[in-house]
Amino acid sequence: MKRIEDQTYYEILEVSPDATSREIQQAYERAKETFQDGSVAVYSLFSDKEMKKIQAVIEEAHRVLMDDTLRKDYNQTHLSSLDLRWPKSENLPDAVESPMEKKTYLPFSEISIDVGDGPYEGKMLRQIREKMGVDLKTISLETRISLKILELIEEEAFDQLPAQVYLKGFLRGYAQCLGLEPKRVIEDYLRSAGVKKKK
Amino acid sequence: MKQLLGPNRDTIWTIGGGKGGSGKSFVTTNMGICLAQTGGKVILVDADLGGANLHTFLGISPPNVSLSDFIQKRVPHLQDALIQTLVPNLQLLSGAQDLLNAADAKSLQKRKLLRSLRHLDSDYLLVDLGAGNALNVLDFFLISDGGILVVTPEPTSIENAYRFLKSAFYRRLKGVVSSAGAKALIDGALDRKNDLGIETPSDLVERMKGISEEEAKRVAGEIERFRPNLILNQVRTKKDIEIGFSIRSACKQYFGIQLHYLGYVVYDQDVSNSIRRRRPLVLENPRSKAAQCMVEIASKLANQHLTGFHAPGEQG
Repeated sequence: MKRIEDQTYYEILEVSPDATSREIQQAYERAKETFQDGSVAVYSLFSDKEMKKIQAVIEEAHRVLMDDTLRKDYNQTHLSSLDLRWPKSENLPDAVESPMEKKTYLPFSEISIDVGDGPYEGKMLRQIREKMGVDLKTISLETRISLKILELIEEEAFDQLPAQVYLKGFLRGYAQCLGLEPKRVIEDYLRSAGVKKKK
Repeated sequence: MKQLLGPNRDTIWTIGGGKGGSGKSFVTTNMGICLAQTGGKVILVDADLGGANLHTFLGISPPNVSLSDFIQKRVPHLQDALIQTLVPNLQLLSGAQDLLNAADAKSLQKRKLLRSLRHLDSDYLLVDLGAGNALNVLDFFLISDGGILVVTPEPTSIENAYRFLKSAFYRRLKGVVSSAGAKALIDGALDRKNDLGIETPSDLVERMKGISEEEAKRVAGEIERFRPNLILNQVRTKKDIEIGFSIRSACKQYFGIQLHYLGYVVYDQDVSNSIRRRRPLVLENPRSKAAQCMVEIASKLANQHLTGFHAPGEQG
């Protein structure tokens, strides 16, 4: 765990180092709301002194990260090479070791890769995941969806998958983790399940 | 703490959260029914030792056997105290009244009970805790890595939940350090007005390094393994729902823990109607908004250990 002052601005705003300005702006507004004076979610946890500190850091994080030049300088001085491995809109570097081994939180959804436009069936989901270079176990840890379920989803083992109402929840979690539109994935997947079951 | 680890640890969900009336028993009952409906074997444990009434939520009359029969050795095994409910796959372990309140003399019994609970044969063991942060309640909460806090979006409820979480957090940490100095430091940290200059858990870890790198490492590891969950109950607006995310952020910044926001249950008149009729909502009125929320939450839980989910750092 890190103290407030030891965290990067990205950690303070809970965004990944390659977040877009829009994502940063949204995260900033959320953080500002969470840590505003009198916020029900924090007032009993932090002292006034800590609150002032956090509020100041949030403002500073926003100021720096929203300014391209300042952000670039900041990245150079504050981010390790590990964080810089996923520059947005550039190709993924080749041999990336699994970030989970380093115990960092992997911002899968922020990785910019071509996710195609569906239909998102089991095979497609697997392909997208493999493109990201993430194994199922990591997804399982991230989403807290059991490994077995994820396997069944990718294999389209419809008869072994749980009831639809539960399946939807799993698909939503998996889709979010891959940075896909959950609604779209659920629709595509269930449609495909319906068609293939009939055969 | 070590002796509390057992084969069933991953299948146990403890439901707490400090304040009375936040909906712990309602959530436990309905979540249990949803999980039983997925085909899993579910046991509900009424560990609200002062005011056990899960049976009422389930619409059955006060059971003849309860936890107290096990504690008083009137039944040899904990499974002998199980009651079949009207829902297939769902059993109830009814609560004992006032039995564990005299904490001192009963500490042995408590340990035996905790140990036996973990050896019950079930896919899901949902333990409904009483209000407050008495040590008994905390110890029950901590038998699982994934305790669930049920909180309503009101300052009083959130405040109590934090107090509860803080107590549980430090009690857990105290369980992994061995030296008296380290234990004393944790006790000191729990007192907010301590003169050690420890204001947050990260201050504690820093100070712990001064005592022993080894102990500090254990504490940091334990913080990482602690993964409580949050259910926000009785939400009325979109803003209420967002409070859950704010609580998650606050926990991350303050405790350095990853709180999992399991979901929310909307405020729904059907809930109190169902409780009055002593008919569980998800059976009585499965189409109601609150019931849908419960199904959603149960589905998230279901996936977490259908086939052995393990929290990071957990072995086997």
